[in-house]
Amino acid sequence: MSRRRRAAALPTPVALLFILPAAALFAVFVLYPMATALTYSLFSWRGTAQDAFVGLDNFVALFTTEPYATQLPRAFGHNALLFAGAMVVQNSLGLLLAYVLHRRGRLRRLFQVLYTMPYLVSPLVVGYLWSLLLSPLFGPVNAALRAVGLDAVAQPWLGDPDTALWVVVLVTAWQWVGFPLLVYGAALGALDPTLEEAAMLDGASSRQRFWHVTLPLLTPVIGTVSVLTFIFSMEAFPIPYALGGSSGSPAGATDVMSLLFYRTAFHSGASNAIGISSAVAIVLFVVIVGVSVAFTRWFRRVERRLT
Amino acid sequence: MSRRTTLATAAAALVALTLGACAPSADSPEPGAAAGAGCDGDAVALDVWSWRTEDLKTYERIFDVFEKANPCITVNFQAHLNTEYDQILRTGLTGSDGPDIAQVRSYGLLQPLVEGGNLEPLEDVVPALADFDDAILDGSRGREDGAVYGVPLASQTIQVYYNTAIFEEHGLEEPETWDDFIALNDTLLEHDVTPLAVGARDGWFVPTVHDALTAAQYGGADFQEALRDGATDFTDPAYVDSIQTLKDLQQYMPDDVTGVQYTDAQVLFTSEQAAMFAGGSYELAFFQDANPDLDLGVFQVPPPPGSALDHPVSAGYADGSWGLSATTEHPEEAETLLNWLATPEFGQLVADELKQFSPIPGVEFSDPLQQEMWDLYQESPAPYLLLVDYRYGDPVGTDLMGEAGQKLFLGDTDAEGAADVIQDGLSAWWTPGE
Repeated sequence: MSRRRRAAALPTPVALLFILPAAALFAVFVLYPMATALTYSLFSWRGTAQDAFVGLDNFVALFTTEPYATQLPRAFGHNALLFAGAMVVQNSLGLLLAYVLHRRGRLRRLFQVLYTMPYLVSPLVVGYLWSLLLSPLFGPVNAALRAVGLDAVAQPWLGDPDTALWVVVLVTAWQWVGFPLLVYGAALGALDPTLEEAAMLDGASSRQRFWHVTLPLLTPVIGTVSVLTFIFSMEAFPIPYALGGSSGSPAGATDVMSLLFYRTAFHSGASNAIGISSAVAIVLFVVIVGVSVAFTRWFRRVERRLT
Repeated sequence: MSRRTTLATAAAALVALTLGACAPSADSPEPGAAAGAGCDGDAVALDVWSWRTEDLKTYERIFDVFEKANPCITVNFQAHLNTEYDQILRTGLTGSDGPDIAQVRSYGLLQPLVEGGNLEPLEDVVPALADFDDAILDGSRGREDGAVYGVPLASQTIQVYYNTAIFEEHGLEEPETWDDFIALNDTLLEHDVTPLAVGARDGWFVPTVHDALTAAQYGGADFQEALRDGATDFTDPAYVDSIQTLKDLQQYMPDDVTGVQYTDAQVLFTSEQAAMFAGGSYELAFFQDANPDLDLGVFQVPPPPGSALDHPVSAGYADGSWGLSATTEHPEEAETLLNWLATPEFGQLVADELKQFSPIPGVEFSDPLQQEMWDLYQESPAPYLLLVDYRYGDPVGTDLMGEAGQKLFLGDTDAEGAADVIQDGLSAWWTPGE
């Protein structure tokens, strides 16, 4: 017993050899680019040529000089709204659908596949598709609304700063709702049915069983889905890009962190574009890691209290 | 075999495998190698890079002409995806596998390569550059040293296209005065034809429309000079007035214009639901392709009363040039090719085969409309201001005008506020007179 445990703790040379290919790929394609982005952000740049070491100057510039001092918080706020919207729309709907499908065994597979279909299409394509559907001139959405007499509801959906970001939330949810649906579906299938039966025998209504038995048991999965949703929302790029272009049209209403990075890195004529854009990438990385870790810890505590 | 040896052998095999995958195959045949026939010694192959994947075949035909005249040089033309080109080129020019000659962007987006020392200055290499239009050469200049780093490949002009059939149907003619222009817009509106096909959801399109309609009003090249001299900035009353004109003309654009995409505007025009389209010369090929029955005309918008200029203008800009890699292994041959790229022979091929405006002096255009746009620009040129001078920092001028114009159309700001957005944004990196 003790020998086997030691073997698990210290991998043999052969085991290391098997780890090597994956570790090498991870190092070359993940660790190395991340380390370079960090070092890039600590230097000033003259076009493609690395200039002097400037310490944290790029970060200071990012937070104190225009246009970044205005655009960074604005973009970050939009990412936060995307996350909130995804939690409310995409994840609640995913949970609801998973729950309903779980109780109706026969068509579950069919609907799981149907709801997951958009997930298989490139988000850029989904974005362009919806921007065509929502066009105020030729789009079928407004045409359908007008056809049934709802003229007042027909909007320039992507042309109005008040609605544009919510369109991004809804289109994202339309595409990704299959993700929470599948994860929650799997988790519901793994729950011990005797617990719910016991509650049923005690006279709990179906609503009470959901709120007091099923939902608490799903907490670990809800935590995982929330953290992943947070990461996806912070990294959102293709759908905002397809719906609002690189400048977050209209008038910056759909600008997000990745678009800010894209503009700074590839769209500006600024000499130090690589330095500043690397700083944007590092800030985004730190926020994602920091919040994800804090979030996970908090969820662990909630879980422990429940068990 | 001991265990350790097995391990070492396996590791070595793995490393060899990985490296082997990276190494370029040395004996792959050089494309176009047959063109070396007729050369006394060994033919030198030049790598030429471009972002025009759609023109690959055409360029190969064009370079065949060069290879015939220069049997000792073969051109290995490679096109990369437009959206990824800048990244690939930056990596290529800083590494060892880069091109000898490459298509490079103009103005601001050229600067990273110039500052990084990746390109050679060309004035001494290509004497014919002296004959080029100065305004076009500005697109290829390094911002700090003012040297020319590219042989201009194409230029674009901005004007108003109109559907001649719709004009005839309503008894309209090309406007001679501002009042004519407004009157014809009103007539079209009365007959339920959208006068101006504009889509403001794509921010980059707003400054194009603004310059097509009002460049003469704020003063074109004169205003550019005043900005360069530090005599004024974008809050200048003439510039504010020109933004107000854009707002005044909104009634002739589609409803909810900030929700209308650029491509929607193109479709409005080519499907003959709109009578006019304010846009660049690059639209022509698409318009003719999308609707071959479309009868097109072009005009310059006459300036409104009280404008800075008393005549209409076409805004224009340089769109790409040929740069020489600082690390080329065949400088002599590359110089021969670059000099050919500056000849009227090549320019004429660009005009005839690629349907682009070659800025090389002496080139003529077979399409009458293309010739007319070029002539209008030659008669009364103006800079596409926000692209030409204001893409050298972050934020770029065209993005700012996009945002300001969207706010203007939405009614979130007035003309003065929109001018402030541009001026405040640019002041992050630009001071008038510098």
